[in-house]
Amino acid sequence: MNEVKTEKLGEAWPSVEVRYTHETTQVMAAEVIEKIPPLLTEFRCAYCERVFGSLSELQAHYTSEHPDAVVPRIITLHINSRYCQVLVEPHWTLKRTLQYRLGLTGTKEMCDKGVCGSCTVIMDGRPILSCTTLAVECEGKDIQTIEGIAAELKNKPLIDAYCKWDAMQCGYCTPGFLVTAKALLDKFPEPTEEQIKEALSGNICSCGTYPRHITAIMEASEKMRQGA
Amino acid sequence: MADLVGANGQRENFRIVGKPNTPGKLSYALATGIAKFGIDYVVPNMLHAKFLRSPYANAKVVSVDVTKAKAIPGVVDIVTWEDEDIKNLNSFGESFGPKRPWLDNYAEHEGAEVAVIVVAENEDICEEALRQLDLDWEVRPHLIDIKEGRKQDAPVIREPANEIPGLGGPGMGGGNPPRKGNVTYSNLVAGDIEAGFHEADHVIEYDLYLPPFACRFPNPSGSVAWWSDDFYAGEGRSLHIEGAVRERKAISNMYRMPLEKTVQEGLFMGGKYCDWGLRKSQEITPLLAKRTGRPVRCVNTREESFDFIMKERYMHMKVGFKDSGLITAVDDYSIADGGVEGSSSFGTSGDQRYGPYNTLKCQNIRQRMEIVDSNRGKMYVSGQHCPFNWDSGTMAVYLIAEELNRDPIDIARINLHGPTSQSDPTPVPSFEACVEEGKKLMNWSWHKAGTKRLPDSRLHGMSFRYQMCPRHAFSGYESKLELRDGVVHMATQGPIFGVFAVECNAMVVAEELGLEYDDISIDFDYREKFSPVGGGADGTTASAWVTKECANILKQRILEAVIEEADNPAPPSMFSFGQPQVPSPFKGLKPEDLDMADGKVFVKAEPSKGVPLAQAVKRNLFATYSGMPPLALWTQGMGRMLDTMNTAYCEVAVDTETGEVEILKLGVVADPGKIMRLTSLESQIDQVMYFSQGCQLLEDFCYDERTGVKLNNNMIDYKIPTMLDVPDVDRHFLESRAGNAAYGASGISHSLANTHLIIIAIHNAIGVWVDPPATPDKILEALGKV
Ligand code: FES
Ligand code: FES
Repeated sequence: MNEVKTEKLGEAWPSVEVRYTHETTQVMAAEVIEKIPPLLTEFRCAYCERVFGSLSELQAHYTSEHPDAVVPRIITLHINSRYCQVLVEPHWTLKRTLQYRLGLTGTKEMCDKGVCGSCTVIMDGRPILSCTTLAVECEGKDIQTIEGIAAELKNKPLIDAYCKWDAMQCGYCTPGFLVTAKALLDKFPEPTEEQIKEALSGNICSCGTYPRHITAIMEASEKMRQGA
Repeated sequence: MADLVGANGQRENFRIVGKPNTPGKLSYALATGIAKFGIDYVVPNMLHAKFLRSPYANAKVVSVDVTKAKAIPGVVDIVTWEDEDIKNLNSFGESFGPKRPWLDNYAEHEGAEVAVIVVAENEDICEEALRQLDLDWEVRPHLIDIKEGRKQDAPVIREPANEIPGLGGPGMGGGNPPRKGNVTYSNLVAGDIEAGFHEADHVIEYDLYLPPFACRFPNPSGSVAWWSDDFYAGEGRSLHIEGAVRERKAISNMYRMPLEKTVQEGLFMGGKYCDWGLRKSQEITPLLAKRTGRPVRCVNTREESFDFIMKERYMHMKVGFKDSGLITAVDDYSIADGGVEGSSSFGTSGDQRYGPYNTLKCQNIRQRMEIVDSNRGKMYVSGQHCPFNWDSGTMAVYLIAEELNRDPIDIARINLHGPTSQSDPTPVPSFEACVEEGKKLMNWSWHKAGTKRLPDSRLHGMSFRYQMCPRHAFSGYESKLELRDGVVHMATQGPIFGVFAVECNAMVVAEELGLEYDDISIDFDYREKFSPVGGGADGTTASAWVTKECANILKQRILEAVIEEADNPAPPSMFSFGQPQVPSPFKGLKPEDLDMADGKVFVKAEPSKGVPLAQAVKRNLFATYSGMPPLALWTQGMGRMLDTMNTAYCEVAVDTETGEVEILKLGVVADPGKIMRLTSLESQIDQVMYFSQGCQLLEDFCYDERTGVKLNNNMIDYKIPTMLDVPDVDRHFLESRAGNAAYGASGISHSLANTHLIIIAIHNAIGVWVDPPATPDKILEALGKV
């Protein structure tokens, strides 16, 4: 983050000036990914927050203290080109795992029912809804989240076009749209308007941004092809 | 009217203001997912909280035994309504209506928060603990159908102690009948209604159903709070809360914390379009964090987010008019959902004064409203409804046109009073300009209902609607600008909720100081006072007016400082190495000899003599301005002055075999006075048209009448338009400069939202009325085909 601490006139507190540009947000996204630990070093009980040094110790604790509880398990995910071990319970969705285990909060939740597309991530090249996908089903898959897209310089034209064309108002649904758009452009680098509408028809925006996405994706597609 | 008193209000050349595609200052954070909303925060050691929600539409928790729930591993705290901490809580949030305890044992709708809050290590444990509560419920009769609820023999659903009407209810207009059963009354009378009908050559009567629809938060409401000993402001603990509020005052008051020790650093509120009421999940976390000594998160689920942004209303209208189409009397009777206790009275009596009638020459108006208590749900403070009873007027214009076989645009024109007052007979220039463009845009050729078939055999319908663009600004703004190290900074607390108000203000600063948009640095800081919010575009144009004044004060200070520094140059520094100092080209001049453009200060008489701003003045400067633009329409009497107007048009094709409606074209010609930020103006119009499309074609609250339980409070069954549903909206803008905010802008907030533009076009196609939402089955039923 590009933070500039400055003394402000007539004010006692230092001001934090945050500039969000493509460059700064690319760095921020990369930092978020960088923070994901590849290996689990602590094993936390979901009920009493006690922390153990290994899964077997945690399992022993469950057996003695919470015999009726479902024991968490370790899975290995491949997210944004990084492998990471994650402790999850079998019913945890990928969305929940991204937020609570990996600090990837760019994936949003609007409906929690597979309707709105806000939680879209790309899995093995296809856009999927992380709120209706169990984390345990994601082992061995290649997952890209909005942070992964934002961290890659080659996606700059898409992100620039989204910002230039205000393809957002409150911005809550925007990462979901952008991830879907990225998956579309990967598959159809030169999409038609109809293909864009079809691809984004599962993404809901309550702020009326629909036509803006078409303009932004069309422009990004052209720029990406020129740059390719 | 017009920005006559403000600095440069009559500016003619605009370099920045009105330009498209100036990226939002926070857009990159939003697009890349870096932006965090309340729901996103995960704080180390965080606990989760959940409210008990009533499974019944009207019930009381007589007693609760929490023993089993408390024994569940991972449950950290359980609070009930009988707890002193809860009894001492008082909401200072933006909500209207009678004061009930912040949480009690009485639930007035299914899904209402009631009696118990559980705090646990995770949400799964919270849910399990709620299931393990031993609850003794007293289930009471409920009321979902307000037309039944108004009847004398209907069960009275509210306890007598809780019968106090909400804001704007009975008593406001005086002379209202006393409350009866579930009904309170709100009546307003102007002129002589009997004489008005006596004068009329024709009388029409019609029914109008204003549909309820759901709040528009894309991000489920909630907050995370913690208490910390930190550096935020002086000694003692700070309350840190994220995801809570537009301004922190409500939370700081509630917890009796000094404002400077109430911290909210996040900037992103999500789409809060005039739905400002704080939810309990946004208010409770500080208490729970205090009790547990750990951060606490409480976020509503989507199912828990189906509050109303507008409650339903049944209207019966009687309108008298002359052969010329001139309206002589309006009798407006309605039965409105009063909602549960504490619901906003906007949408019921609160907007009776803001209706379409004030725009008419006719001054014989009677409005009678029965406000019926119900167990349908809650509407928090919300303003999206304001334009909705407007469509009772849109319908009147349409029906008169049908009766007289005249174009509804002509009927509207005959009835509109002049720009300055209700007795002004002159035409409204903004309206005339809008309809002239609108006719071109739509290739307008009016036809009577049911008379036009398209080549593919579907029926063609069209409709027209006008509104005024409300001049807002009944709230003031405090703007602060600084020149710091040669860069102009605009300080604001934000937060950001989707109207690009900050950017619009930055554009004004750039315009006034001869800088580029990107030259203006925004200092987002929650402690700053300036918040350019205040509704939507109307608040933006009003805050931009204040910022324009502030920018001109800063400009004056800059020019004075330039002259002072030119006349008194600093002595050469040790790093100038004996180089001769170049004398300033401004030496000996006066501030009024100078101006600013292209990032430079220059001599007016010799524009080639210019120096970049950062070199022309070395010192840091700041300016403040506190106030509001004059003549806010909302306080002048909405509709009694007509300066900036907008018009909307719709064309549909109705398939009489399938009942399917296709919107062929939505057209908007709007005069926002002055376009401030084109891209967001366009977006707001798209949003409001889609929003209106949703409520007329798709959205519906479905209840099980027997239990009062909502059946579709999820996004699968409660449908809002997707990209495949929405038509292109053809928009055309005019700039009359006749508004009162910056450069004569008004904004278009609220004014284009409608409940009947499409419904009227459907009637014009098929010749029979279908209440919103006009789903294919209802259309076939209206056509007698099922
Ligand atoms: S949150 Fe996953 S589809 Fe809506
Ligand atoms: S931009 Fe707000 S929900 Fe899409």
